[in-house]
Amino acid sequence: MAAVEVKADVTGSVWKIMTKVGEQVSEGDELVILESMKMEIPLMAPEAGTVKEILVKENDISNEGETVVILEV
Amino acid sequence: MAFEKEILEHSQRKAKALSMGGAKKLERRREAGILNARQRLDYLVDPGSFDESGLFARSVLPEAQEKTPTDGKIAGFARIAGRRVGVISNDFTVAGSSSTALNGKKMGHIKQVATSRGFPLVLLGESTGARMPDTMGARGMAFSLENNMYLRTRETPWANAILGMAFGSSAWYACLSDFNVIKKGACMAVSSAKLVSLATKGEVDPEDLGGWKLHTEITGIADLAVDTDEEAIDAIKKFLSYMPSHHREAPPRALVPEGSDEPVKGILDTLPQSRTKVYDVIKVIKKIVDIDSYFELKARFGRTMVTALARIDGRTVGIAANNPIHKGGAIDADACDKMCSFLVLCDSFNIPIIMFIDQPGFLIGIEAERKKMPGKVINWMNAMALCTMPKIAVQFRKNYGQGYLNMGGGKNADELAAWWLAETSFMDPSSAVGVVLGVDREAEPKKYEDMLDKMIKDTSAYESASVYGVKQVIDPRETREYLKTMLDVHHLRLTGGVGQHLMRAWPTTY
Repeated sequence: MAAVEVKADVTGSVWKIMTKVGEQVSEGDELVILESMKMEIPLMAPEAGTVKEILVKENDISNEGETVVILEV
Repeated sequence: MAFEKEILEHSQRKAKALSMGGAKKLERRREAGILNARQRLDYLVDPGSFDESGLFARSVLPEAQEKTPTDGKIAGFARIAGRRVGVISNDFTVAGSSSTALNGKKMGHIKQVATSRGFPLVLLGESTGARMPDTMGARGMAFSLENNMYLRTRETPWANAILGMAFGSSAWYACLSDFNVIKKGACMAVSSAKLVSLATKGEVDPEDLGGWKLHTEITGIADLAVDTDEEAIDAIKKFLSYMPSHHREAPPRALVPEGSDEPVKGILDTLPQSRTKVYDVIKVIKKIVDIDSYFELKARFGRTMVTALARIDGRTVGIAANNPIHKGGAIDADACDKMCSFLVLCDSFNIPIIMFIDQPGFLIGIEAERKKMPGKVINWMNAMALCTMPKIAVQFRKNYGQGYLNMGGGKNADELAAWWLAETSFMDPSSAVGVVLGVDREAEPKKYEDMLDKMIKDTSAYESASVYGVKQVIDPRETREYLKTMLDVHHLRLTGGVGQHLMRAWPTTY
C-alpha cells in the first residue's frame, strides 16, 4: 500500500468536498472542487484508491502544490 | 552443382549473422515476454518487406567477432502500410547494442538514405551507451566517435520507441524523434542506473532515473506510454499514418468513416450551461473530428493544453485546445512547451493547425516565473509567427489576456470564429479595478463601483464580430462544417499543400 498525495494544481478556495475518508475512488473521480478564476475546478483522483485523509475544509485557501487529499493506493 | 561451396558458406554465414545473441539470451527474453530485435521488426513492417543492410557487419576487434552479429544494431529498408521506411532495431542481446564506429556507420547510412530519398525513419530503442573497451582512451574516442553527428532538420518523420534500457544512442534518438513512445518498465536516460549508482554511491531506481512516469508527466520527452512492445509498434504505425513520407508533400488523405458528420449534432451535451463550470475538451474534440481519428500526443504533460493529431474530412489536422478541466484552462509553462513542440511538428510536415480556445489567461505566480514563463510565452508567439501552415481558430468560451494572441488572435491565425458562448477581454473587470487601479472595494465602495462600471465592457462574440475581431459567430453544432470549409479554403494550392518549414531546425527539447 502506498500513499499518494493529491495536490492542488491551482491556488484557490475549497468550494466543495466531494468525498469522505474511507471512500473507494476510481481514477478521475472528483475529490474536491476548488474555486479559482471564478470557475469551479475539480481535483481528480490520479489513480484508484481509498481516501485516507482530507487535509482541507470548505472555504480554506489551497495554494498550488499543497496536498489536499491523501489516497492509499 | 557449380559454386556449391560458396552457396553453402553464404547460407551458413547468414544463419550465424541472424542468430543475434544466441539461444540462451533469446530464451530469457522469450520467458520474460519481451520481443527480440527481429521479432519487433517483423511486427513493425509489412510481411516480407524487410531488406537488411549490414547483416554481415561485426565487431572490428578480432576477439569479439564471433559474438557480435550485425555489430548489435539491425538496420535496413522496409515498407509500412505499403510506404517505404528506413528501420533500425537495436539488438540488446549483442553487446547490449552498444555503439561503435561501425554500427554508427550503418545507422548513418540508413539515416542519410531516408533523408535524401524522402521516407520516414523508425527506431526501436534499447541500448547501452558506447562500447567498451572500443571507446576507451584517446585513440578509442578519436576513432569511435569520429562520425557522430546529431542533426535534426525534419526532412522526413522520425518515430521512436523506448523498449528497454535506453542509454546513449537510444536516448539521443528518442529525443531527436518527432514521435516517441515508451514502454512501461523501460528507462531512458543519459547513463544507466548502474553507472549513476557508482558515481553517486547510492542505489538509483531506474523508474526515478528515466521511467515512463518521468518522461510522460515531468519531462514530456515521451508522447505516450504503453504496456507492451506490440502496443508501442502499433502506436508508431498509427503516428506514421497521419504523416507525409517527407516534408515536400502533403499528408495522405484518408477515407472518411461513415457517420462522421453525426457526432457534432450532440456537441451541446458535452458543454455546461454555466460559465463557472468546466468540461473536458477531449470529449468535445471527438464530436468534431472524423470518427476514431483522434490521436493524442503528450496526454499526461502540460494537461491544460491538449495536442492531438486527427482528421477532418479525411485530411490530417493538428488540434491544439485549451482544456478547462485542468486549472480552468489557464495556460502553464509545460503547456507552452507542449504547444511549441506541436506547432513545430505540424508546420514541418504540412499539417494545418486547428485551435480551440477556452482560456482565462496564463497561469501567473512565482512558480510560473521560476519556470521562465515569459520566455515560454514568447517562444510560442515566435512559433506562431514562423508557422506557414494554415491556422484556423474557433473560440468556444473564454479568451483573456496575452493568451488571446497565443491562441490565434489578431494576425496570429488565418481564421478566427467564435461560438455564441464566447467572451473576450484583457482581464476580469474586478481585477482591473482592484489590482491595476488600486481601488479597494471595502475602503472606497462608491469609487470602486464607478471604476468597475468603466471597466465592464461588452465581451460578447457579437461585439467582437461587429469589428471583425472574430470573422464569424457560429453555433457549436456548425463547427465541423465550418472547419471543413476553412481547411479547403486555406489549402496551400500554390505549393501543393506544402509550407516553408521555417522551424525545421527548432531544438528538439527545451
